[in-house]
Amino acid sequence: MRTIDTDVVVIGGGATGAGVVRDVAMRGYRTVLVDRADLAQGTTGRYHGLLHSGGRYVVSDPRSATECAEENVILTRIHADAVETTGGLFVSTPGDDPEFPDRFLAGATAAKVPAEEISVTQALRREPRLNPGIWRAFAVQDGSVDGWQMTWGAATSAREHGAQILPYHEVTGIERDGEQVRQVRTHDHKTGEDVTIDCTFVINCGGPWSGLIAGLAGCHDVEVVPGRGIMIAMNHRLVNTVVNRCIYPTDGDILVPVHTVSIIGTTDVKAPDADRLSIPADEVQEMLDSGEALVPGFRESRAVHAWAGARPLVKDTRVSATDTRHMSRGMSILDHHERDGLKGLLTITGGKLTTYRLMAQNVVDEMCEQLGDRRPCRTAEEAVPKSESGKTYVVTHRLEEREKDRLDDQIICECELMNRKMYLEEMHGRPNANLDDIRRLTRLGMGPCQGGFCSSRAAGLALHEDLVDVERASGLMELFLKNRWIGLWPILYGAQVRQTALDQWIFSGTLDIDHLPEPEQAVL
Amino acid sequence: MATTSRAVVIGAGMSGLVSAIRLRQAGMDVTLVTKGIGGIQLGQGTIDVLGYVPERVLNDPLAAVTAHGEAHPHHPYATLGADDVRAAAEFLQDLLPGTFVGDLSRNYLLPTAIGALRPTALPQASMADGECTPGKNMVFVGLRQMKDFWPELVAGNVARTELPGGGRVSTRFAWLDLPAREGEVDSTPLNYARALDDLAYRKRFIAALKKVVHPGESVGLPGVLGLADADAFADIAAQLGQPVFEIPTIPPSVPGMRVNDRLTLMAKRARVRVVLGSPVLCANTDGKRITSVTVGTTGHPTDYAADHVVFAPGGFESGGIEMDSYGKVSEPALGLPLWVPEGELVLADHTAEQPLFSVGVRFDHDMRVLDSADEVVHDNLHVAGGILAGASRWREKSGEGIALASAVRAADAILESVEVLEGANHA
Repeated sequence: MRTIDTDVVVIGGGATGAGVVRDVAMRGYRTVLVDRADLAQGTTGRYHGLLHSGGRYVVSDPRSATECAEENVILTRIHADAVETTGGLFVSTPGDDPEFPDRFLAGATAAKVPAEEISVTQALRREPRLNPGIWRAFAVQDGSVDGWQMTWGAATSAREHGAQILPYHEVTGIERDGEQVRQVRTHDHKTGEDVTIDCTFVINCGGPWSGLIAGLAGCHDVEVVPGRGIMIAMNHRLVNTVVNRCIYPTDGDILVPVHTVSIIGTTDVKAPDADRLSIPADEVQEMLDSGEALVPGFRESRAVHAWAGARPLVKDTRVSATDTRHMSRGMSILDHHERDGLKGLLTITGGKLTTYRLMAQNVVDEMCEQLGDRRPCRTAEEAVPKSESGKTYVVTHRLEEREKDRLDDQIICECELMNRKMYLEEMHGRPNANLDDIRRLTRLGMGPCQGGFCSSRAAGLALHEDLVDVERASGLMELFLKNRWIGLWPILYGAQVRQTALDQWIFSGTLDIDHLPEPEQAVL
Repeated sequence: MATTSRAVVIGAGMSGLVSAIRLRQAGMDVTLVTKGIGGIQLGQGTIDVLGYVPERVLNDPLAAVTAHGEAHPHHPYATLGADDVRAAAEFLQDLLPGTFVGDLSRNYLLPTAIGALRPTALPQASMADGECTPGKNMVFVGLRQMKDFWPELVAGNVARTELPGGGRVSTRFAWLDLPAREGEVDSTPLNYARALDDLAYRKRFIAALKKVVHPGESVGLPGVLGLADADAFADIAAQLGQPVFEIPTIPPSVPGMRVNDRLTLMAKRARVRVVLGSPVLCANTDGKRITSVTVGTTGHPTDYAADHVVFAPGGFESGGIEMDSYGKVSEPALGLPLWVPEGELVLADHTAEQPLFSVGVRFDHDMRVLDSADEVVHDNLHVAGGILAGASRWREKSGEGIALASAVRAADAILESVEVLEGANHA
């Protein structure tokens, strides 16, 4: 067993937790972040990649809209390397509510969300694949953001300010000394070791799991309703601008260009268990139909992967619990001293990826106030590592990089133009990482072949570098393919069937992966 | 035979090429139409007959073919028998003498590029010394500039595998640092194979190899031992002076490419008319006979008149079968009826055999397509290869056995029908 002594433990390694630990560290506290899995593996990594302009909420939730507009500017500055400033369009498609566009424009003005009406011709010139039947269009400042890169950016910044970041450390208990939190007990899944962290304050950023975490501290009935949404990545940039339907927020109303793909989202269904999120066939069909409404021919283009995420929505008795979209998306902070008589524990839930920094600021402000220790928040002023230049990401960045170094290094993942150096940098930094951990940092295996060509290379290279033994190398490859399949089988149609057949031919046929010796222990 | 008899063969994979050559050898006028290069080079370049049922088949794969067909009425081996497989394999071995070894009495157990042990009936001669037997010493040698073969992975997995009947192979790994082309760091297997076709490079390669291998070891290399030069492997083995073998890599697979190149050249030399880069648009019919095939050639569609058609477009992997976004499967070129297994076609369990990939066409022993009422769809259309329903080619390691047997049966059924017709005319 290992013991760590710190001031503040942050539980949950999504964007919120990473933002909180960064903020806490930048204010000069000793702090440790723990997550039971990898950073940004939960809700943060399972969304459509939209950096909101605020336009989405100008009618339904003006306060969120204003916050989004402000935070969009800040994140584009401090997380430049994770952001692509694609711009966004709100378009009215045939049959959409004729009165909504005027409400949208009025709402945008009131909420101070920059929005400008452009002609249909201009909109179609900008995005030629758009439905030619659109009848109004507004330009906004939507962007796209890589949630993994942003979260790791914040976590790396936190580390530079002295924080410890401990992924794969699951919280098994939160101990108290009378009315005061004193310790968080964790289990390191990668090493099997128990790690105890003595502390004076805990901030619970567990998203859809924050109710369970609060329960470990004896604070019961924190009800967080997971709102499941599915997303589908299409194998091309069908649009280069974020395209929103100009209607009251509903299912399948956003198409976001992110890196080499474009992502359609999303649905919203109350889920019983945030650990078991399905991708139902009817919702896939609904997304494809929605895609057709925005981009005719959508169904003939190639879907490459699908996933489901769980929005953490604090239950609000004002709306029906089955209608999670219209519950508060605003952040809420639960003060467990006031609520449960336990000092040193705050829970923050709700909110959006775009406002993660503001959420962190608010909860850390609250902590400081409770500690009687007013220290100012500086997270909006300082860029995270690798974003100091302020140069935002563009889709051709990797192509440019590979054109410079392709004669000097091997490309391990051709689809995503990831070379050996990039892979090994991450793998050496985290020798007990699995290939999905590396994927979130490098996009390994996220392209059309979905691991068909790169996973045996990645496994072999890890073994070659003595980072793993042969059993783990083989297990990593099998685990990666297993996990890729989770997001493949629900959208298996069209050209991706052909790709999958080739991948099966390679792995089952040529390599006979089904008959490798079984590993003695499960690979994590 | 009437020399005017015209066959159109659709598809340039194993079954398309083999049936085209067989028809041409019998004197028929043959046009081979293909949308692209065939699929042989996507695979491992050996002749699989039946490797798993799902238990591993080691002895007598032909007996396993018979038993598997009897137990699985929807499987191609229920219609194509062991005799068809044997005749077809012999035909191929006669076409490509010296390329393959084995006599179908057993399966070879050979290491793959990740170190699994894979059964195959007829490996290429260049692979045979990879056979895993107890007590054998193997060294697997990687090439620094090639990323699809990690000798540590192969050596490690082979070493930790208990052989059927007990015992293990002793393994070791080594590396060669000899670029295929000067200054190249990211070479495909094809680059190495072309380099090894060159005698001067080959000499340097062998000199470097000698420095890393020990006496008594069988030397395992990635599948790069020559492409155009059919004698490359034998020369390398002779110069090295100890057993050497190659292991097929993921595509592009040089051993597969070798077979593809030789069969394609043979077809062209035999004056099979090869129309490349042209998708089949439709078949034109008169009653139950196809009279011509319309092909999407550049600028304008072209009709190829046909007395007989062999249809060998492959399965999903080749675009021979498709599934749309509503989950509807179809055969896009001729609109043939498909056999679809009952239940879900795609399963959430990634280790499961995916029923989708057994979708295909049903057929009789003349390789004519049957509809759901067991009626022949076109009297002069014969199917072969990956489009046949009911197999799990990759998992059970049966792809080439099915492709060859069906191709030869399709060709023979055409030749038999011509003889019958001629016999009738003479009478």
